[in-house]
Amino acid sequence: MSAPRTKKATPFLSTVIHQPYIWAIVALVLLLVINLIKDPGYLGVSFNAGTGNLSGNLIDILRASAPVMMIAVGMTLVIATRGIDLSVGSVMAVSGAVSMQFMSTADGSAGTAFAAAGLALAVSAVLGVVNGLLVSVVGLQPFITTLITMLAGRGLAKVITAGQNTSASNEPFRWIANGTVFGFPVVFVIAAVIVAILAVLVRRTALGLMIESIGINPKAARMAGIRPIGILISVYIVSAVLAGVAGIFSTASVMTVEVAKTGLSSEMDAILAVVIGGTSLAGGKFSLTGSVIGALLIATLDKTIVFLSIPSSATPAFKALVIVIICLLQSQRVRALFARRRAQGRPTPPSSPSAPPNPASTRKETVSA
Amino acid sequence: MSITAKFRAIAGVALVGAMALGITACSGGSSDSPASTAAAGSGDLVTVGFVAVGPEGGWRTANEQNIQDSFSKANGFDLKYAPATNGDQNSQITAFTSFIDEGVDAILLSATEATGWESVLKRAQEAEIPVVLLDRGIEPNDDSLYTSHIAPDNVGISASAATWANAQFPNGTNYVVLEGPPGLSVVNDRNKGWDATIGKTFTKLESQSANWSTEEAKSVFETILKANNNNVQLVFAQNDEMGLGAALAVEEAGLKPGSDVKIITIDGTKSALEALAAGRLSFVAEYNPLFGETAVDVVNAALAGKTVEKDIVVPSVTFDSPAAATAALPDRKY
Repeated sequence: MSAPRTKKATPFLSTVIHQPYIWAIVALVLLLVINLIKDPGYLGVSFNAGTGNLSGNLIDILRASAPVMMIAVGMTLVIATRGIDLSVGSVMAVSGAVSMQFMSTADGSAGTAFAAAGLALAVSAVLGVVNGLLVSVVGLQPFITTLITMLAGRGLAKVITAGQNTSASNEPFRWIANGTVFGFPVVFVIAAVIVAILAVLVRRTALGLMIESIGINPKAARMAGIRPIGILISVYIVSAVLAGVAGIFSTASVMTVEVAKTGLSSEMDAILAVVIGGTSLAGGKFSLTGSVIGALLIATLDKTIVFLSIPSSATPAFKALVIVIICLLQSQRVRALFARRRAQGRPTPPSSPSAPPNPASTRKETVSA
Repeated sequence: MSITAKFRAIAGVALVGAMALGITACSGGSSDSPASTAAAGSGDLVTVGFVAVGPEGGWRTANEQNIQDSFSKANGFDLKYAPATNGDQNSQITAFTSFIDEGVDAILLSATEATGWESVLKRAQEAEIPVVLLDRGIEPNDDSLYTSHIAPDNVGISASAATWANAQFPNGTNYVVLEGPPGLSVVNDRNKGWDATIGKTFTKLESQSANWSTEEAKSVFETILKANNNNVQLVFAQNDEMGLGAALAVEEAGLKPGSDVKIITIDGTKSALEALAAGRLSFVAEYNPLFGETAVDVVNAALAGKTVEKDIVVPSVTFDSPAAATAALPDRKY
């Protein structure tokens, strides 16, 4: 987590190497290589004449990563303010329930699809406002607040569909999850555009700095003239709306909302993606790029488990093992150990900033990514 | 004694119930339990506590609605419905103990988890309250602890699905099993029946869990298809939702469900029968949720002091053609 001070002096590659998410990239490549060994054609992308779409394992991974990416990016901003949003999975279910319930009685036009998506995102945003108000104005603990919305949200989803798994048919809506644009899955393109917009918003303006300063020291931030209430409410709204988008993605893929299962334990995937991406749960410095890579890794891991035919009883253990290894490798102590080794082995390596391992550098203010 | 009673009352109020109450065996009449919010002492109605699973899916909804309808006031019952909080076994044990404390006449139990029921079942036995297990059994299956277990036969149902597969592919074929969450007794039983019956010439490519979910099944099966170059002819999905997800994955891959890939599902919900009628599924084995009347008979017999059968199998049917599904659809209740 040491900050890349040599940013201007060294090329892009060495900047990346010193990011905390380097191990996630290594794991990602490793998983792909393992798959490639099992089936040399793994990375191949072919044109499917039957459906007119490109198909391939990579396409599947990109598609599967989109919902996780959405909630992980929202979660990153919330975590950066020292908060946490446990309600994202439930908001996914609410958003899916709203859109499916709306479309189940309407016609199959593109207008209906837009209206359904808009309505779903609006309801999600309301849940985000509730979270934000409770955390910032009332001053409740984020964990408790979002735990309440998590339970209430799933209840709300069940009320919306009267406890049923509602299905609907709407071709434009289905296309969101199953179609492709220039060969890329629509969901991934949408997700990438949203992430890019957010990245510009927080990194090219002072917003990102403000979010980090609230996470590092709320009191000092307030003294410095940053008003936390507005920013806190905004990050919870962003997180909820992104969860709403994720809900649309995952229900559109099967055109059914499963109120008890849609988005179930997705908050854990999101938190994992954030942690793998190198953002500290203690708040402060955050990395959107890291979370995106974390989301890609989780999707790849899920797909790999199936591809390698790992027995279903062993899948949670396998998943946990991979993630524990990554978290260990990027932990402060292990990284310090590596840095020391490098410093001893090669006195002045060209690609290493050879900065002394400094645990306090976690909280260093550096805008990267 | 009074200390024990006081302790009991406090524990009851504080809802720490489960473990604390399990130790102090008794049948007190404290009425501060969560499940007794319904009017107590309603004439000569038979009070029955229903420790249920709660919202889970189409099958569960139909099942629990049917039980509630059968144990109606008109039939002489006062049913207290206590669904689990988000499938949590602890909340079920709490509800169960408060039913015992209340002194209900009989308890119906659909356990979310199979294990860990011995101590509370023993307490019910000491309080002489008959317990009828609905659908889900307990592990270890000590049938001296309960009055009767009413459920469709999972082993038999999946065996009937395998028999159909044997007839469809006399020379065997490549198949995939989409199962529920590992460890559930339902999953084990459905695997058992299938594995025992399916022909030796069949090749099991993979058995993966899709957690009963359409979305997960679609994602899992699209990867399985790619891993096997679409060389999969048969899918055994252990519930309807997963079967429908597999059908979507097959369509995405540009294949045709029904002819390229035959999909077998268990449960027989309306949406599965609609898919079977449309030719997207190939075989649907019903797991009959409507056994409320049988449960009523069993409770009445137990309360009258008659001996009841320990293991009652609910008859289920199978649907093997679009025509059969179309015929059954109009009066499908769930």
